[in-house]
Amino acid sequence: MHAIWTAFGLVFDIQVLTVILGSAIFGMFVGAMPGLTATMATALLVPVTFFMAPVPALGAIVTATAMAIFAGDIPAAMLRMPGTPASAAYADESYEMTKKGQLDLAMGVNLVFSVLGGIFGVAVLILMAPALAEVAINFSSYEYFWLACLGLTCAVFIGTGDAVKGLLSLFIGLAIGCIGIDPAAGQQRFTFGIVDLLSGIDFVPTLIGMFAVSELLRGAATFEKGGTTIQQHVGNMFAGLGDVWRKYWKNFFRGSILGTAIGALPGAGADIAAWVSYAVSKKLSKEPEKFGTGHIEGIVDSTSANNSALGGAWIPALVFGIPGDSITAVVIGVLYMKGMNPGPSVFTQTPELIYAVFIIFILANLLMFPLGWAAIKSAKQILRVPRNILLPVILIFCLVGSFAMTNSLYGVVLMVGMGVFGWFLEEHGIPVAPLILGLVLGTMLEQNFMTSMIKSDGSFLAFVERPIAGVLGVATLATWALMIWKLLPFGRRNDGVMTAGDTSPP
Amino acid sequence: MRFSDTVVGAAFILLAAIMIWLTFSFPAFPGQKYGPSLFPRILGAGIILCSLLMILRERRLADKRPWLALADWVGQPRKLASFALMLAAMIFYIFASEPLGFIPCAFLIQIVLFLWFGVRPVTALIVAAAMTLLVYWFFGRMMLVPLPRGILDSVL
Repeated sequence: MHAIWTAFGLVFDIQVLTVILGSAIFGMFVGAMPGLTATMATALLVPVTFFMAPVPALGAIVTATAMAIFAGDIPAAMLRMPGTPASAAYADESYEMTKKGQLDLAMGVNLVFSVLGGIFGVAVLILMAPALAEVAINFSSYEYFWLACLGLTCAVFIGTGDAVKGLLSLFIGLAIGCIGIDPAAGQQRFTFGIVDLLSGIDFVPTLIGMFAVSELLRGAATFEKGGTTIQQHVGNMFAGLGDVWRKYWKNFFRGSILGTAIGALPGAGADIAAWVSYAVSKKLSKEPEKFGTGHIEGIVDSTSANNSALGGAWIPALVFGIPGDSITAVVIGVLYMKGMNPGPSVFTQTPELIYAVFIIFILANLLMFPLGWAAIKSAKQILRVPRNILLPVILIFCLVGSFAMTNSLYGVVLMVGMGVFGWFLEEHGIPVAPLILGLVLGTMLEQNFMTSMIKSDGSFLAFVERPIAGVLGVATLATWALMIWKLLPFGRRNDGVMTAGDTSPP
Repeated sequence: MRFSDTVVGAAFILLAAIMIWLTFSFPAFPGQKYGPSLFPRILGAGIILCSLLMILRERRLADKRPWLALADWVGQPRKLASFALMLAAMIFYIFASEPLGFIPCAFLIQIVLFLWFGVRPVTALIVAAAMTLLVYWFFGRMMLVPLPRGILDSVL
């Protein structure tokens, strides 16, 4: 109990609350701007959080992402342009509602069910994480090795449209993670005598490069003059919400449960949660023919799902140190930077930190209500900020942010290099999210692998001798077998090949 | 700009081969069977395997893809220039930020990009000046990041 009170003390501090409010507004803005994603919001925030204590740092990321995922719904309904990929699944549907003159209802449903879905996800996180941590405390290097393998495999398998390219991206990320001093023997690898490389490839400049710089390059190449203007006026958003709840409360719970579960799967985040729950909603609906014509039912499912996925994604991140999506990959990177190794021991050693995250999560979702209302009301002004001003300003933030990580130009050089590389990969349909996961998890995976190899003296039997390790091992090997069977090109033509940039699920 | 999977795959196979070759120069520790070279070798093998699958998959396609397919925007000089300018701005910062300092560099980059993307000159001037000072104040003064002072060394 004592830890909970300490946690309240940590969160309800004027400085922390200011950070939370500031990042909430930042998240709303980034999420509402089409083309700027929640992941990009996180990437731009990390350099700032670097200078903060752990609690405000985590608070900033939690709040900004929660807001961004909701705010993506605003331009989706008004302009048919999803603000973040997580709103893409139902952008058409909500735009159809707007065309029918139901913008008020669409916005109200998006706001209220985003808040409720978010709280649902947090509730599951609070209930599940400590219990799972008690199991995980007995894990040895074998279990962690399999968990990391299983997590990364899932990330490739579920999270990307093209598994071969996803896997390639993952291996590249793990290989980049090898640069520096190896975790088992302390040997220098691939440093070519460059002092900056001794500490490994810096995670934050890589992140900014892959998620922000590549986006800037793409944005510059596809820049069209002329801004977006909105004519619609938003009236009373909360009229008719009671009816929606009475009619579709089952959809809310279905969407939230599905969203939390998908979020908890490594590699699959809010955007996939929204796609899947929208599809499920359509399949199980009594009136599937109405889907796509401005029908609220699918929106209830998927807008709850993408916000609940955020909470779900933190379950494996906090308990095992294995990220549930690219945002929690960033969180794990931040935790390592702060010298805290995520994993079950955090729950026993610094429980107040875990409780503080829970409290911030609830706070962020409650804050979403008034701020979201304000964002919808002022959408006209927010969306009027033209891209031609945004692109150069973001560039300056990227440059300063990556410089601040190393206090030298090395960070900037790394960021630009990784930005161009990330842009190149995405142009060729190779997703960058698995690369980031690989880079974050590389050291942990290798350490557990090498420890296990040395302990077992190279015998693979030892990897599956312990009961939980055995189950995890069999599950991993089964997934691999399934994957190889699906990937091998024998006997099938033109199967599984996707075109450039088409990495989102259908 | 999009190379065919065969070209990309071949490039990654080459890189992975170099990586594996480099691991042979890592020292082995006596009595230790598994050294620092094991994990990179496994990863190298993984990269090669994936690249081979990519190549094989594309070779089996009925319609052969060109080695290099250009995106639409490459044909439009203005968009190509926008892309080049964005990249040039970053490279300019890498080379000029030490001698010139953060403030002149950030201001220049923003002004040039704003004007190129068609922001009105007055707006461009105001936003560039305001953002430069804001970022300098926040990172340089509040967060104590040693942003290069450059030619303004005596003033700051």
